[in-house]
Amino acid sequence: MRRLVLSVIAITMLVSISGCGDETTPSGRLDKVWGRRGISEGRFQTPRAIAIDKDDLLYIVDKLGRIQVFTPDGEFLRGWTTPAIENGKPCGMTFDDAGNLVVADTHYFQVLFYKPDGTWLQEKTIGGVNGQGEGEFHFLTDVVQDSKGNYYVGEYGEHDRIQKFSRDGKFLLQWGGHGREPGKFVRPQGITIDKQDRIWVADACNHRIQIFNDTGKLLSVWGEHGKEVGQLSYPYGIELDGKGHAYICEFGNNRVQKFTTDGESLGYWGTSGRREGELHQPWGLAIDSEGLVHVLDTYNHRVQRIRL
Amino acid sequence: MFGLEIGFDKPWYLAVLALLPVLWMMSFRSLAGLGNVRRLFALSFRTIVLVLIVMCLAEVQLRKTSEKLTVIYLLDQSESIPLEKRQEMLQYVIDDVAEHRRADRADRAGAIVFGRNANIEIPPFDDDIAILGGIDSYINLNTDATNLESALKLAQASFTEDSAKRIVIVTDGNENIGDARTMAAMLADDGIGIDVVPIKLTARAEVAVEKVTLPPNIRKGQPVETRVIVNNYADRTIPGTLRVTRRVGAQEEFLGEIDVELEPGKTPYSFAHEIEQPAVYTYQADFTPTHPQDDLMVQNNRATAFTHVRGKGRVLVIENFENLGDFDFLIERLRNNNIEVDTIASNELFSSFAELQTYDSIVLANVPRGGGDDADSVSSFSDAQIEMLVRNTEQMGCGLIMLGGPDSFGAGGWSNTEIEKAMPIDFQIKNSKIRAVGALALMMHASELAEGNFWQKEVATVAIKALGPMDYCGLLHWDISGDRWLWGEPQGLIQVGSRRNMMLARLGRMQPGDMPEFEPAMKKALTSFNRVNASVKHMIVISDGDPSPPGFATTANFKKANIQVSTVAVGTHGPAGSKTLQDLAQATGGRYYVVKNPKALPKIYQSEVRKVARPLVFEPDSPVVPQIVDRSHEIVQGIDSLPPITGFVLTTAKDNPLVETLILSPQPQDERNATIMAAWTYHLGRTAVLTTDAGKRWATSWTDWENYEKLFTQLVRWSMRPVNDDGKFTVATDVRDGKVSVIVTALDKDDEFLNLLNMSSSALNPELDAEDVKITQVAPGRYVGVFDAPKDGNYFITISPGPGHAPLLSGVNVPYSSEFRERETNMALLKALAAVEPRGGERGVLIEEKQTADATEGMLAVDTFRSGLPPSISSQDVWPLFLVLAAGIFFADVFVRRVTVNLEWVGPALASVRVKMFGQELAVQHEERLDRLRSRKAAIAGEIDERRAATRFEPTMPEDGDTKITLDQVLEDAAGGAAPTERPKRSTSQLSPEDTEEESYTSRLLKAKQKAWKENKDKE
Repeated sequence: MRRLVLSVIAITMLVSISGCGDETTPSGRLDKVWGRRGISEGRFQTPRAIAIDKDDLLYIVDKLGRIQVFTPDGEFLRGWTTPAIENGKPCGMTFDDAGNLVVADTHYFQVLFYKPDGTWLQEKTIGGVNGQGEGEFHFLTDVVQDSKGNYYVGEYGEHDRIQKFSRDGKFLLQWGGHGREPGKFVRPQGITIDKQDRIWVADACNHRIQIFNDTGKLLSVWGEHGKEVGQLSYPYGIELDGKGHAYICEFGNNRVQKFTTDGESLGYWGTSGRREGELHQPWGLAIDSEGLVHVLDTYNHRVQRIRL
Repeated sequence: MFGLEIGFDKPWYLAVLALLPVLWMMSFRSLAGLGNVRRLFALSFRTIVLVLIVMCLAEVQLRKTSEKLTVIYLLDQSESIPLEKRQEMLQYVIDDVAEHRRADRADRAGAIVFGRNANIEIPPFDDDIAILGGIDSYINLNTDATNLESALKLAQASFTEDSAKRIVIVTDGNENIGDARTMAAMLADDGIGIDVVPIKLTARAEVAVEKVTLPPNIRKGQPVETRVIVNNYADRTIPGTLRVTRRVGAQEEFLGEIDVELEPGKTPYSFAHEIEQPAVYTYQADFTPTHPQDDLMVQNNRATAFTHVRGKGRVLVIENFENLGDFDFLIERLRNNNIEVDTIASNELFSSFAELQTYDSIVLANVPRGGGDDADSVSSFSDAQIEMLVRNTEQMGCGLIMLGGPDSFGAGGWSNTEIEKAMPIDFQIKNSKIRAVGALALMMHASELAEGNFWQKEVATVAIKALGPMDYCGLLHWDISGDRWLWGEPQGLIQVGSRRNMMLARLGRMQPGDMPEFEPAMKKALTSFNRVNASVKHMIVISDGDPSPPGFATTANFKKANIQVSTVAVGTHGPAGSKTLQDLAQATGGRYYVVKNPKALPKIYQSEVRKVARPLVFEPDSPVVPQIVDRSHEIVQGIDSLPPITGFVLTTAKDNPLVETLILSPQPQDERNATIMAAWTYHLGRTAVLTTDAGKRWATSWTDWENYEKLFTQLVRWSMRPVNDDGKFTVATDVRDGKVSVIVTALDKDDEFLNLLNMSSSALNPELDAEDVKITQVAPGRYVGVFDAPKDGNYFITISPGPGHAPLLSGVNVPYSSEFRERETNMALLKALAAVEPRGGERGVLIEEKQTADATEGMLAVDTFRSGLPPSISSQDVWPLFLVLAAGIFFADVFVRRVTVNLEWVGPALASVRVKMFGQELAVQHEERLDRLRSRKAAIAGEIDERRAATRFEPTMPEDGDTKITLDQVLEDAAGGAAPTERPKRSTSQLSPEDTEEESYTSRLLKAKQKAWKENKDKE
């Protein structure tokens, strides 16, 4: 009898910790929480974007315009600051095929390139002019590179669109526009790309994911606004794990949700709050080689690592 | 261990522990029957229980010692220190924290800036510090004086209890308010250490204009000599220019300019001139050095003085700058009646209290609290200007009249201001039958602006205060839950009424987040607007413009619902300006403001909120004829009737018997809301209102009326401050050592001294705070009063000579703060502060600049995060825990005395373990044991049979071996008698003595009963 009672208690505790309940309860496992608010090295002031390199090193930019490099466990390695920060700070980053860090410098209307050691590759800068013409930008959101070396840059504000540039920064094409209809955007905040060069766009204020081919043709749309499992509220970041799953961090719902590529929810992790395991308006996420998800818990000024 | 210690809040209770030996002695005898082992246990338990209870009485605490250190820097920002020096010291603080803060101890650093007051710039936090906005960004910091004491107090209050505490004062030590030494001693008592970084003021040339003096009793047409005293502190001649000007109201007149060669020391200069017109004249003397390096402190290069020459009545009319000329007709009529009238526009308002002293009455002619179309032109009466107007009436006896129009009273945004209090009517409608309701939604998205939260709270406060009780108000912002109303969720817009204070209180916890888009919040607002029954609905959005814009349909719905959305663009992402916000305002008919300086924000909101107050304008379908209520009043004397008017502003008559309602409108029916003209006496002055206009829009038929001049002339003359026509009082003032002396000479018409007058007086300081001044007679006809004048600026004095005499007005100027007299570092004070020894710690260090190229580097050699201060000890009461523990051990004490624990199972259990561990080796022993048990069982069975066969009634105890126990022995044992020399061991398998006794006694009883029954039966 005693064994039976102990077994029941143990199973209950295990379920509550691992979250393997039904879909209405958070799933996933918190692996590590690190980072604190501050201005000294290794601390954050509202981290806005995260990128991960082939060695699983994390590159994180915050509202002081600092790009800081960390080990997967949060040990500070090095850092540098973007050229100007008075107007605002970057909110999108990725690595290109040359191993350079590509930064969407949101409020300076340009894409910056850095070597992993922080050396600024000024000659590679794309844009720098505020406008609605080709190669001009308003508020940049994110940037990705396809297998052919082309860059796709998202922007919002006066123009919600994706612009495509060649490897050498030459404008190729654009698509989108401000609107609620499929193919249009209201703040395409997060962008990622799969192995087939399909561009996945977290259309934040339309609370949906739109998938395009490399010429801007709309392939798929899924997602609806809401708080329920499978619904989205201001998806700001999207990443793919290469195994048929999309991970989306929701600025509005304060959680990370895992989907199939068809938009079927496989569960979520996180809830509103400031304690460990809780999120406060996350802006971005990154997936490392072990499949661990690193979430930028922006207004808690930290990173939470989870397995989902 | 682990930095934890046990402590006691009331340690004297521990003396009770001296009773422990008594306890031991008493218990040792009484517990003798338990045997040695149990007695030892019982004694131990009793001892522990007593000790624990005594510790509870002594209020035992767990004390934790922390090595953590918190250092708070006090940065002197007063203007006696050159700006570049202040910036240099700021950098020193940043470097010092980076150099010395011990991250491993989680040391904290914070910064407080101070001048006349003190503000927390960076709360103590365990990280390096950076002041991103620079020292010019400080809000609400008055830098014209040094109040080190207030900074020390603020630092003391800012420390947390879990660390050692040190203050590093960075200052020149020239305090002119407060007493830092006394405060430092109090800090030392708290164990707070003080290091001092003296800011060295290098020897420099300095010139100061000491004062401007004027004769005390100036009359019209009399030659006047203005004397200017200039002091050259340098030891050489300094060339420059001395210029004297005279101001009357807003007009400035040049009196003279001379080139001077200032010898060391004080030099007087004279400027002769005449006064042609009665007025209040302000004289100003400015010195400009030929070489700027000769005079590094420019704040003390100016001094002012003023004099009051009385004449006939003079009136100031303040007009709305957007409708200049609306009151020309009235002004001309007043001038025709020998009233001097000056006019100023509402965007060029007075800047000092002295300017108002020129006038005997002030007229607010259909002028709104705030107005203007864009951020550059928007203007408003500041709180300070409103206070000047009110104090001018309240303390100085000046008249104040408010004339109506669509931009006046509540419709002009004057609700909940000091002006409303001074007037005989309230500007708000509290009558639910009158539909004069507006609705205002505020949307906040400007947190990234420097001090964004501060400014958002400021503008929200302005808006909420300006709304009437019947108006609706809501505030939308983005928080962790998304778009939320700050109050009244989900309705959002709720009536202000009695909730005004709740709304203002909620602003304190407002922290607007980064709203992703406008659309959902605007839809939320639209839903709420559609739900309320308001005549005017308005929305104001403040943002940096980076949320995604609302959809076309949403803006169209706002337009359709006649809701204007005004937008305020603040620059947080580059230059201010946002096409999104501009489009939104344009699409809904609202205004678009581009704000470069956040200080313009309150004015914009004052102007915008006025739109919500438009329902207060009452324009009946047909003209109404106002009725005179009190014909005996001086204002309406000689007037029998009034021409019709087409409108006025709704107000509510004050429920006060002093209010004299003179003219009423027949509509609306409730007289309280139908006031056209009312007046009353407000402290020393008089105020009056006319809620319709002076002939431009609503009272157009009055301009041809024969009594127009009469009504308005009588209105203005009634309000004017009384004049002392006999002119026999002379008032002189003198400033010396921070005190002002007021000397009044009183003569009657025959130039005989007026004695034993019951004079009273009050003085207004530069911040317009009133202070009573005691006037006493010191000689025949001579009266003197003295008051403190610690602040620089103008002090205005009102003297009431007594019954039958009009008040006397005077004033005096303290040219500049003593802050600008100090030219050297006050090392004596700074050394004294550093020498204060904190209780339980080491005295501070004087960290002096080195005479090297990089002075701060030398200063960094001193470790401000060093130890040497009493560590923080945090304590936690644990006596409840100890009490519970005592209760548990007390139970154990009872248990060990009352219960015998059988341990015979231990042997078999150990044997069983041995078998399991060592296997067959012990099997033989096991068999032997079984044999012993079998034989033992057989023996016991035999004994039982033998007992059953026994015929004796005496109870018998089962025997263990050869030991026999009688019943008497058992009873004696149970009664606590002397213990047997050798106690028999008992087995749970044996019958207990009590069982045996019970059985024998029962069987005997049974037999007795059976015998009795049998005898009864036999008898029957």
